Amino acid sequence: MSLRVEELNVAYGKVQVLWDVSFKVEGGSLVSIIGPNGAGKTTLIKTISGLLRPLSGKILFEDQDITGRPPHTIKKLGISTVPEGRGLFPNLTVKENLIMGSYTIKDQQRIEKTFKFIHQLFPILSEREQQLAGSLSGGEAQMLSIARALMSEPKMLLFDEPSLGLAPMIVEKIFEVIKTLKQRGITILLVEQHVQHALELADYAYILENGRIVLEGRGEELLENPHLKKHYLGL
Amino acid sequence: MLSPTLLLQNLIFGVLLGSIYALAAIGLSLIFGVVNLTNFAHGDFIMLAMYISYFLGVSLKLDPILTPIIGFPVFFLLGIAVYLAIFHKIIRAPPLSQIAVTVGLLVLLRNFALAVWHAEPKSIPRTLLGYSYRLGSILIPADRLTGMLISIATFLILHLFLTKTKTGIAMRALADNLDSAALMGVNVRNLNMLTCALGIGIVALAGGILLTFQPVNPMTGLIYGLLTWSIVAMAGLGGVSGILLSGIIFGLADAFTAAFWDPRAREITIYILFILLLWFRPKGLFGRR
Ligand SMILES: Nc1ncnc2c1ncn2[C@@H]1O[C@H](COP(=O)(O)OP(=O)(O)OP(=O)(O)O)[C@@H](O)[C@H]1O
Ligand SMILES: [Mg+2]
Repeated sequence: MSLRVEELNVAYGKVQVLWDVSFKVEGGSLVSIIGPNGAGKTTLIKTISGLLRPLSGKILFEDQDITGRPPHTIKKLGISTVPEGRGLFPNLTVKENLIMGSYTIKDQQRIEKTFKFIHQLFPILSEREQQLAGSLSGGEAQMLSIARALMSEPKMLLFDEPSLGLAPMIVEKIFEVIKTLKQRGITILLVEQHVQHALELADYAYILENGRIVLEGRGEELLENPHLKKHYLGL
Repeated sequence: MLSPTLLLQNLIFGVLLGSIYALAAIGLSLIFGVVNLTNFAHGDFIMLAMYISYFLGVSLKLDPILTPIIGFPVFFLLGIAVYLAIFHKIIRAPPLSQIAVTVGLLVLLRNFALAVWHAEPKSIPRTLLGYSYRLGSILIPADRLTGMLISIATFLILHLFLTKTKTGIAMRALADNLDSAALMGVNVRNLNMLTCALGIGIVALAGGILLTFQPVNPMTGLIYGLLTWSIVAMAGLGGVSGILLSGIIFGLADAFTAAFWDPRAREITIYILFILLLWFRPKGLFGRR
């Protein structure tokens, strides 16, 4: 259950944003990609999930080439995305957002089972079930976005800055949840600016700057790295 | 002149008419909201539906109210064809390009109608519904009453479809956020195609009903284009009930203009309402966005 990205080049029109990006995520592990604003993190997530087509390079999931495939087929292979800015359906209820998460699952019993799991993980969402997703607070919205991604029982989760714009207490909660999901054996690619948390959780991490991977290493190693300490941790 | 009977009569006329106008507009609203396409040819699809209804009425001796039995599947397929041939290619284009392309389609449809059916207005040879119910001194035309019932049934089914079925919920999701819908596993192309098929298919229902009480000519699309766009603009993007309500408002405006001013002034009233609306409530009266 691993993801391998090889020499990925991605552009918007004539403006190239990702340059020869290569990395891998072993099955069951959590890999973090850290980078400042505009580094190309969202572009990377969108390319893996199929929303963008790369100029060149390869994306392999479980040794299948998924480069340039449309997003709905990538979802069916077991890759779920928690997009930047939550990406909820604001005029749908919380319940309907979750139903959309299970869009690729045909077996109603499996859907019911996942619903139960979601309600244990995020009790607040069952209280809000009939509310429009657009009326949720930032933290609730992020929980819903994660819950929605889980509804398809994914093998792999892509997180695009899940802590963005949330109060510190909620950030703690979100990282708790990500940890729980990792313990359940889901392979995770986590894109973050919240360096401390992302590196503590990560088995392995990469630093992305100006569209290139400039540094990589084990999470705890990178926390001690002088470049990182200086530019990202402000130490 | 302003007797209570006359007022009540036109109130009923307006509601009957308006629910039929809403039926004519709902397909436009679906395609605009879900597929995200600005279709200026919608009125001309209505015109075409009225001609098809006329053609079926004459050649098969079918009552116009029954013609949608054939018209709906034909227009459903036409929706798929138009999506694949034209709409699909302009979905990500800016609204101005979409308008340019669909105006081209509008001209094509108008000239097609002119070539096949010529300029004189056509109306149906006969309808079983050419009578009226009488309540005291109030008249309720059977054709329009049937039209309203068909319209309300269609709105009910559509509402259930959009809120209770997975495909319907996915259509609303697509209207909200295309990228997220794709990430959930929705095949966007197929769902857009289904939306166009449904949206154009329902036009056949409206066309059959309209022809029971209004003649059609190649320019009919002009007034129905303006009318249906006005209804969609008034409703804003939201549930189907907004379209029904705003259709009825236009129906009432239409009935009262015809009764108290001049039947030929209908277009002026619609236009004035449309301008006022854009002026004061550009997001629509009932819309959430
Ligand atoms: N749709 C687009 N069209 C053109 N350029 C884009 C587009 N989206 C992003 N970019 C550019 O690509 C670069 C990378 O953007 P991206 O959103 O991938 O960065 P990011 O690392 O996710 O940043 P942030 O931390 O702000 O989310 C930026 O310079 C941005 O301006
Ligand atoms: Mg980003």
